[in-house]
Amino acid sequence: MQPVDQEKAVQARPRPASVASVRNLRVYFQSKRGMVHAVDGVSFDIYDGETLGLVGETGCGKSVTGRSFLKLLPVPPGKIASGSIQFKPHATCRNCDGNGCPSCEGTGRQSAANSRGRSNEKGIRDSVDAEIVELLEIGREEMRRIRGDRIAMIFQDPGKALNPTLPISEQLSEVFLLHRTSELLEAAGLPASTGGALRRFASQEQRFGDSLLMALPPNRAFRNRLVGALNKMVIEALGDTQVPNPAKLMARYPHELSGGMKQRVMIAQALACNPDILIADEPTTALDVTVEARILELIKELQKKRRTSVLYISHDLSLVRRICDRVAVMYAGKVVEIGSTDAIFRDPRHPYTRGLISAVPSAGARRGELAAIRGTVPELVDPAPTCRFAGRCPFEADSCRRFEPELKPVSNGHAVACFIDSAAPSGRQPTFQSAAV
Amino acid sequence: MSAASQLNSDRSPPGCLDSLLSVRNVRKYFPIREGALQRIVGHVRAVDGVSFDIRRGETVGLVGESGCGKTTLARCVSGLTDITGGGIYFDLPHKQAILLGQLSSPNAEGGPLPGHKQELERIDTAHRIDRLEGEAGRRFRRNCQMVFQDSFASLNPRHLVFDLVSRPLRVYREATGSELTERVVELLEQVGLGRQHLYRYPHQFSGGQRQRISIARALALNPEIIVLDEPTSALDVSVQAQILNLLNELQSQRNLAFLFVTHDLSVIHHMADRVVVMYLGKVSETGDTGELFKAPHHPYTRALMEAKPDLEDESSKYEFKGLEGTVPDPARPPRGCRFHTRCEFATESCGWEIDDIVRCLEYDPAAFETLSGVERRSDFDAVLTFDDAKSANRLAEMLRSGAVPKALQDSLSKLELRDRHVSVAFEEVDEVPLTSRGPGRAAACVLDPSVIASGRNG
Repeated sequence: MQPVDQEKAVQARPRPASVASVRNLRVYFQSKRGMVHAVDGVSFDIYDGETLGLVGETGCGKSVTGRSFLKLLPVPPGKIASGSIQFKPHATCRNCDGNGCPSCEGTGRQSAANSRGRSNEKGIRDSVDAEIVELLEIGREEMRRIRGDRIAMIFQDPGKALNPTLPISEQLSEVFLLHRTSELLEAAGLPASTGGALRRFASQEQRFGDSLLMALPPNRAFRNRLVGALNKMVIEALGDTQVPNPAKLMARYPHELSGGMKQRVMIAQALACNPDILIADEPTTALDVTVEARILELIKELQKKRRTSVLYISHDLSLVRRICDRVAVMYAGKVVEIGSTDAIFRDPRHPYTRGLISAVPSAGARRGELAAIRGTVPELVDPAPTCRFAGRCPFEADSCRRFEPELKPVSNGHAVACFIDSAAPSGRQPTFQSAAV
Repeated sequence: MSAASQLNSDRSPPGCLDSLLSVRNVRKYFPIREGALQRIVGHVRAVDGVSFDIRRGETVGLVGESGCGKTTLARCVSGLTDITGGGIYFDLPHKQAILLGQLSSPNAEGGPLPGHKQELERIDTAHRIDRLEGEAGRRFRRNCQMVFQDSFASLNPRHLVFDLVSRPLRVYREATGSELTERVVELLEQVGLGRQHLYRYPHQFSGGQRQRISIARALALNPEIIVLDEPTSALDVSVQAQILNLLNELQSQRNLAFLFVTHDLSVIHHMADRVVVMYLGKVSETGDTGELFKAPHHPYTRALMEAKPDLEDESSKYEFKGLEGTVPDPARPPRGCRFHTRCEFATESCGWEIDDIVRCLEYDPAAFETLSGVERRSDFDAVLTFDDAKSANRLAEMLRSGAVPKALQDSLSKLELRDRHVSVAFEEVDEVPLTSRGPGRAAACVLDPSVIASGRNG
């Protein structure tokens, strides 16, 4: 664990407390033709309890960004070239010790910014004593502890993300066994100091011969109590996702369930440990529109109840508009525009955002006159330092082809990486009037 | 190409009564086989009596959830799947279409008269796509092309673009040698690709480009109708916009007719002249795109609109919400209106049946576990047996109280509790037919459109 530049950390934190700040993240992939700059200098914050939408076309690096939070990238060929992801886990609420009280709205947790005096050897304190974890630098074991517990992920295709050889109950209990061992022991009425085979059973670290030990009395009775407690926790988690008859669902295998039901199981799995951040990577792309709306309602509801922040990765603008508080638009490995949903959709400042919004078929558009963005996404092999959208942009000027625009704020919380709103270093500046057709 | 465009100008303008393709009461059942002998134990009714027309130069949109039979119907229309019942007629003149309607409507004896039979036979051999033979069959097949959803699966990865696009031309002996190459280049240029793409493999292209190759292949024989099965579902919005623009441009150039199958309402709203909304193998509503989107006459159409509100339209009258429950089993579709199990407007005359009670019980695990048998006299009349009298009593309570939909309660005609047995009966309801609601508009719902528009069940 390296010390983090404290000054920078303070500076980087905006008014609302952020649970995670991504700074200058660069993820490259080695390919035959050279380094593919899949994510190239991405910075954003996820605020406490908000839904941040990450939109963009296929191959713009949005999924890679989401996966780098949890070290889920294939390394090699992937490589995290630089940057940092600082994660500030919620601390246990001081008033109620995690049992739920009015001050923490029953969640038992407080956001990092207003918690005090809790730290351990793993974390470092920033100016308000919150613990900061540098996600890109911690080891495998620590990541295992965070993954699924403090940061959880929902994947695009529930059919592929669930293990086809295990029944639903086992896939869900894994989360509890890994992250909630002491709660499990408590729920089974065993002392927290329980050790030996029983503890190993409750934390899924079985050794050779443990199954034999567990089959002998009195361990057998304890084991049954543990399994009972575990099943209760699983049923509760499933029940939260409004699954009809959760007890019956537990014995089923993934292939027996419909797509919407599988996605619910995955949501139950992700939210089982009450995570601080939920990364939803196109969670409804594989589902029907009517089911999609139900799943989103469900995520929204659970999020409100648990004050989880959601990073919602999607290519569907109309969905993002309905459910997100803020939106970051990505193009070719960069965030080109970020701001509140309202600002982005009411007054998009980047030509790409404008292009994306007008490409969605709507009632107003005349037949055959959809505003398609011309050209295709550029290859990201060793890109030149120019505006990545140059060549497809209807407003581009010569400065766009020579300099790379940076993300600059245009109004409160709304930032754009385009010379349209900030002066170009030299050369002619693009404007929305100078549309080159 | 010049000859082709001349041909096009001769074609009748859109809006004339002759339809290019007439789908009449089409049914497609897939058998369910079981056991060592693979005996047929039932049928999945993928498409169950669908009728509509496609005229020259128009786009008909086909919408519905996955599993509603829209892709099966598209495959039936293009002749890729045999149909179980009904008929699909190609290039049927208006007069014969009327005659067909009269002849195939059931009369007093239950079957067509001998004279009529001959007449029907004559129409069938001349126009029904699965009865066409020889030259007529070739004419249909070259005039009806298809573009599939997954361009990865529908383009042979071992063939060059040239092979893929030239295949139809070679099969129909349209061109050979350098003329063939020129024709292929011309087609590629029409879809926004070029000569440089001739000798490449499909994997070297992006999703949007592959879909363009599929479209070029479909255009090769200058067809009159193209069946598009979710052509843009796998694409990004900006690429989708390019493809949709291309399709529209081609349509106006060549007077093409499209059958556009998709689940995306915003695409349908943009592309289609007329819309057919399908649910569980049946048409629930059909009509002009503008009117249908202005005022849906079927709760399912409304539910679809609520699930996918328009991006631009902020003051949308629909709030964002999804549908409860899942699509029922198409092997045992619900009686009455097929949508009544998930419909928030359901009334007592929508066809409530015994299965609905069982469905309600599933939400009450304790009661469902104790249900030991259902003895049916019909779909509307049965005796439910529980393990103990307490559970039976609980079900009776449930049916009397507000734990079940109000409409279900209202349609109960009998509810008797005897020890462990509860016998229930509903009023028998026939299938809700598709009724005409003005020119070109039809919906299968018992409710008044104003009720659905207001969003409240009176």
